[in-house]
Amino acid sequence: MFEHPLPGWLSWATDPEQVRRAPFLSRSPLFAGLPRRLLGRLATRFFEKFYHAGDVIFEEGDPGRALFVVVEGSVEITRATAKGPVVLNTLGPGDAFGELALIDDFPRSATARQGTEGRLLILYKSDFDALMEGSARIAVVVMHNLARQLTIYARRTPVFPGAGPEPGAPL
Amino acid sequence: MKAFRLLGWAGLVALLWLARGLLLPVFLAAAFAYLLSPAVAWADTLAIRRSVTVGVLFTLIVTVLVVAGFLLGPGLLAEGAALMDRLPGLARQIDQGLDAVVRELAESAPAVRRLLPEGGGWVQRFVLDRAPAEPADLFEHVGHLFLLVILIPFFAFFLLRDMHRLMAVAMDRLPPQHVETSVALWREINGVIGRYIRGLVMDGLVVGALAALGLWAARVPYPLLLGAFAGLANVVPFVGPLLSAAAAGLVVVLTPGQGLAGVGRVVVLFLAIKVLDDTVIQPFTIGRSVHLHPALLLGSVVVGNHALGVLGMIVAVPAATVLQESVRLLLEHRRALARRDLRHHPQRLVV
Repeated sequence: MFEHPLPGWLSWATDPEQVRRAPFLSRSPLFAGLPRRLLGRLATRFFEKFYHAGDVIFEEGDPGRALFVVVEGSVEITRATAKGPVVLNTLGPGDAFGELALIDDFPRSATARQGTEGRLLILYKSDFDALMEGSARIAVVVMHNLARQLTIYARRTPVFPGAGPEPGAPL
Repeated sequence: MKAFRLLGWAGLVALLWLARGLLLPVFLAAAFAYLLSPAVAWADTLAIRRSVTVGVLFTLIVTVLVVAGFLLGPGLLAEGAALMDRLPGLARQIDQGLDAVVRELAESAPAVRRLLPEGGGWVQRFVLDRAPAEPADLFEHVGHLFLLVILIPFFAFFLLRDMHRLMAVAMDRLPPQHVETSVALWREINGVIGRYIRGLVMDGLVVGALAALGLWAARVPYPLLLGAFAGLANVVPFVGPLLSAAAAGLVVVLTPGQGLAGVGRVVVLFLAIKVLDDTVIQPFTIGRSVHLHPALLLGSVVVGNHALGVLGMIVAVPAATVLQESVRLLLEHRRALARRDLRHHPQRLVV
């Protein structure tokens, strides 16, 4: 159970929206291991947006500037092939995608489309950079989690020219 | 449907035109909200309701203002009253000096006389024109000031409390394909303006305090008043520091017993403050928010002055920075989309 940030007698002063956001972030593998205080700081930097089913969140080749976390609904990650789009992964609440935009300025390596309607949290790269500058702990934990995801992906992906992202690969 | 939408937009424009008198209070309220936003953002990390945070902040500010009023108010009021008493006499003295210079000029070069406005006593007329002559005028001035004092915190309260809700509504209305660039733009603009306003206020406070201390040490009259003016004028790039130095120099010239040595002390003091401000204070306060070429910086201030006067000079630098960042992001977005289109339609590459 996610710990409440304020003591019980101050519950009337608690913002339910912020209290609701932090548990989603704590569930995401990218932010696992961050203490509540830092999750609270992270949660305030996210924008929230509603997407209809079928909405394209970003397309392969788009400039990547933000990380997304699924709050409600599902998101399909697809990649264009000669035989048509192939679904690489389907994400649900708590899952994060677009995380490579936080590290480099390369275009998106796959397309993200809203499967069933729902809400996403959006973290802009500059906000994340500012957070990392202000807290080495956030930088270390998130980079460690990201490196672990990349290691898992690298271990199960055969290296050959022209290989696209495999199911579950960071975007 | 299209006609209704057009009608709605026309109504909105008309409403904004009617409410144009509120532009200054809203602008100042936004600046005030930016000043307080780091404290609100800190409270957000503890999941405290915005209304509670802003309420507590405003109570604290009122308390600080009341205490500061008790500590600094009597001194500032006494200096202000003394200056007001001396103002007509000072204006007369300056006019006598100016008349003598004009007479000399007219004797040596009669053509110059035609370039100057007719009659004498320019400074006295300037001072008297600005003083409210009728009790009705005085009430109008006080009324405007009172309205600003009420409206600025009122708008700032709601901006701080509800801005994130307005942003959430705007985000939900954005087409999905523009979300990332829009978030990037908003964050950059918000960051630049916020850092600039907070830096400017911090810079003004430090410069004002240094000027007041320096003038007090140099035994110049009205150090608190002149220091406060130096801090306020500092928000106007280039011209502000010159004006505050000129005001202090004028007071020294018109104070018996100060002489040229006093003017020299004031010049050295304001030069030292300017150098310190440019090399040490500004890099820590507003340096990180502005990345403009010096020529563009000066150009934006000149254009701002032509467009909106003093207000234009104050907003010119952040406006130019925001414009520069927006153009950079939009061009970057366009280039990336063009690259993607080329990948999807390589035949477009054929010349």
